[in-house]
Amino acid sequence: MSSARTQFRALFVRELRTVVRTRVYLLVALGVWALVVGLVATGGGGESGYLPAVVDLLLPLELLVPAVAIAVGYRSVVADLERGELAVLESYDVPAWVYVAAIYAGRALALSAMLVGGLLVVAVLIALSAGPDTGIYATHTGVDSPVLFGRFVVLTVIYGLAMLGVVVLVSVVAQSTRTALALAAGGVVLVVAGGDALVLLGLSEEWLAVDSLFGALATVPNSAYRGLVFETVVGVASGVDSGYAAARWSALGLLGWLAGSLGLAVGLLGRRQR
Amino acid sequence: MTETTPAAESPQPAERTPAGESMLTATELTHRYGELSVLQSVDVSVPAGAVTAVIGPNGTGKTTLLRILLGQLSPTEGTVEYTGPTVDRPIGYLPQQPSFRPQFTAAETLEFYGALLGREVDTHAALDRVGLADAADRPVEALSGGMRRLLGIAQSLVGEPPVVVFDEPASGLDPSMSTRAFEILADRAAAGTAIVVSSHDLGLVERFADRVLVVHDGEIAARGSPAELMAETETESLWDVYDAVVHSQRGEQ
Repeated sequence: MSSARTQFRALFVRELRTVVRTRVYLLVALGVWALVVGLVATGGGGESGYLPAVVDLLLPLELLVPAVAIAVGYRSVVADLERGELAVLESYDVPAWVYVAAIYAGRALALSAMLVGGLLVVAVLIALSAGPDTGIYATHTGVDSPVLFGRFVVLTVIYGLAMLGVVVLVSVVAQSTRTALALAAGGVVLVVAGGDALVLLGLSEEWLAVDSLFGALATVPNSAYRGLVFETVVGVASGVDSGYAAARWSALGLLGWLAGSLGLAVGLLGRRQR
Repeated sequence: MTETTPAAESPQPAERTPAGESMLTATELTHRYGELSVLQSVDVSVPAGAVTAVIGPNGTGKTTLLRILLGQLSPTEGTVEYTGPTVDRPIGYLPQQPSFRPQFTAAETLEFYGALLGREVDTHAALDRVGLADAADRPVEALSGGMRRLLGIAQSLVGEPPVVVFDEPASGLDPSMSTRAFEILADRAAAGTAIVVSSHDLGLVERFADRVLVVHDGEIAARGSPAELMAETETESLWDVYDAVVHSQRGEQ
C-alpha cells in the first residue's frame, strides 16, 4: 500500500503549488509586507532600532497575524469539500490525519514566508538606518540587538501557526467557503478580543483570582503571544526583572491551541468521512 | 508531462480476478438516516469484467448504495466484502460532479493522483483514453464541464483499480461525449475491471450494461441483463422495463 509519507508529500506539494499559483496570496503577502514596513515607518522609524520597532509592531500584529492566517487558510479544506475532492481522495485511502497534516504544513509554510518576509524587510531597513549599537549581537540586559528582533520574528510565526491551526479547524467544520470565512473571522475576533475581555471581566467580577491571571492570559492566543514577547524580547532589553507573563504557560497555551485545533480537525474530518 | 510504460500502472495479469467472479459483495444492506429507511436488506454482487448499472428514480437510495459500496458510508446493517486482488487502490470513483483545483493542468491533476499512490502516471495515455490528449497542458479552469467529467473518468482509473464506481458519468454531456464515456466503461470492463455505474440515461445503460439493478424505494425491485429484464416484463426497451417496474410498484402502493 502507498505509505502515509508518499501521500503526505503529494498533498504537501499540491498545497504549495496551489498557494504559489494563486495571485491573491501574492497580493496578501505584498500587503502584509507593505503594512509592516509602513507601521514601523510611521512609528519610531527604522533608525530608532529593533526594540522600538517591536513595540510599534506588537499590537497591530496581534490583529494582523490572525487576519493573514484566515486569508491563507480558510479555503484550505472546505474548497476540497465543495469540489467533491475529499470524496475522491477517500478512494485513494488517504487518512484524515495525513490530509490535515499536509494541508496545514503547506499553508503554514506560506504563512511563515509572508510573516518572515515582511519582518525581514523591517530588519534590513533597521540595520541600514539605525544607530551603531543596534548591530551588537547580544541578548543580555539593556542592549538592543538583531537577536532580540529574531526572537520576535520566531514568536510571531509561532503565534501565526497557532492561529492557522484554528482556521484549518474552521475550514473542516464549515459547509461552504463563505461560511468558512464568516466562521473564521467571527471565531478569531471572539478569541482575540473576547479572550482578553473575559479575563478582565473575571478579574473585575472576582471569579478569577489575581494570582491566576498569568495562567488565564496564557490560554488566550494573542495574550500568550504578547506575554512571550514582553518576557523574552522587550523585558530582556529593558533590564527590568521578568514577571510580565508566565512564559512557559504562554508557550504551552499557543501549542495547545495548535495541537487542539489540528487534533479536533482530524477527528471531525474522520467522522465526516464516515 | 511524465510518461511511463502503461504496464507500470497495470496490475500483473495473474492478479486479475476472472471475469464473472464477484469483486464486491454486499449482503443484507440496510441504511437508515434517523427514522428514515433508505435501503432495506439489499444484496448486491459486482462481478469482474462486467458493467453493472444501477438505475432508479431520484431519492430511492442509489447514491447511498454507491457510497456504501465505496466504503464512504457505513451501513446501519449488513456488510460489504471486497474480494479482488490486493492493490493500492481497490476501488476507483467518479463523483457526480467531478471538480479539481483550477490552478493545475489536466496532466498535473492526474500526476497528483498518481503521486498519492507513489506512481508516475502515463498522463498522455490516460488522457488519450478519454479523448483529452490535446488538453493535457490546459488548466482545469479552462476545461468545459464535459471535459472535466472526462478528466474525472481518467482520474477514476488512475492506479487501474479492479473496481470502479461511476456516479452519473454521462450527466451534462452531449450525446457523443455521453456515448464516449460509456464506451470507456465498457472498454475497462472488457479488460477485466468490475464497473458499477449509476445513470438516468437508460438508452446507454441498455446498450452498454451487462447487468442492471433497478432500485426503487430502497430495495432492488428487479435485476438481470437488459435482455432478461425485457423478457421478464415483456417489454422492448429498458425504459419500458423501468416504467413497468417503478410504476407497477407505485400502483401497488
